[in-house]
Amino acid sequence: MSDEIAPHHHFQYASPRHQADTAIAGMWLFLATEVLFFGGLVLAWMFCRHWQQAGFDAGGRETVIAIGTVNLVLLLTSSFVYSSGLAFIELDQPRRLLQCCLVTMGLGVAFLVLKAAEWLIDIHERLFPAMADFRITGAEEGGARLFWSLYFVATSLHALHMLVGIAVVGWVAAQTRAGRFSSAWHTPVEVVGLYWSFVDIVWIVLYPLIYLVGRGA
Amino acid sequence: MSRAHRQALLCWLGLLLLGATEFGVSFIHFDRALRPLLMLPALAMVALVGLVFMRVRSGVAVVRGFALAGLLWLLLLLGLGSMDPMTRTAYVVQGIDLPR
Repeated sequence: MSDEIAPHHHFQYASPRHQADTAIAGMWLFLATEVLFFGGLVLAWMFCRHWQQAGFDAGGRETVIAIGTVNLVLLLTSSFVYSSGLAFIELDQPRRLLQCCLVTMGLGVAFLVLKAAEWLIDIHERLFPAMADFRITGAEEGGARLFWSLYFVATSLHALHMLVGIAVVGWVAAQTRAGRFSSAWHTPVEVVGLYWSFVDIVWIVLYPLIYLVGRGA
Repeated sequence: MSRAHRQALLCWLGLLLLGATEFGVSFIHFDRALRPLLMLPALAMVALVGLVFMRVRSGVAVVRGFALAGLLWLLLLLGLGSMDPMTRTAYVVQGIDLPR
């Protein structure tokens, strides 16, 4: 029945547009739950910093701001590139979309490589909070250990989301190469774009919390 | 260049500008309690990504509803969750060192 109406149009939807809108709304509902997931982390950050401001800021001053900033630029650029890819498929240019997907994946991988390098630097600098010889000592030690605990949890969860994002953008690239998308139907490209932009948003929020708030205090 | 491409390009430039602003301002020394204000450019960046890259405005009503619901849930979570630290008074008890 679906093929009689339009390609990719399933029977339970009134029209292909209705089906596309439902898929996009479903992703938005998922993202609303993700907001709560990361919101808990932000609340923990607010609560811990309120009671341990000096220690928290001392921890924040030890972060590698150069890598964090480069990573922010990489992710902002990746969202721009993917968004451009979506605009290209709307103009019926799948080859351009494929190129945009590959660049987006490359930027995502570069982000993760830099993040891994940063983690190694942090551990080498004795900033892992469970270390007995933790670098920050004295009155600020407790707050700094809390900061670095939240840092490793938040950046790990974000990196996990990045891995999923790179995989689904790769899937979009493979489907594009197989000629599955056109200006008439490209709903998965839009849905994956929402997820990728959300992962970008999470980093936009984490960046000042981790690297900036404690720096000039 | 299509309208969508132009919008995406302008949004990207705006995001870079806001990112550079929060980066630069973070090196200025000001009161520790006011440092979370550094989040303001980040909030503008989130709004830009939502409006341009995620196309909230051109979405159907239910999309805008879910986006607003996510925002409302976050405000409830952060608002109610931060009530205690914002309103609690810490009294100094002699002979006991409070954590700093």
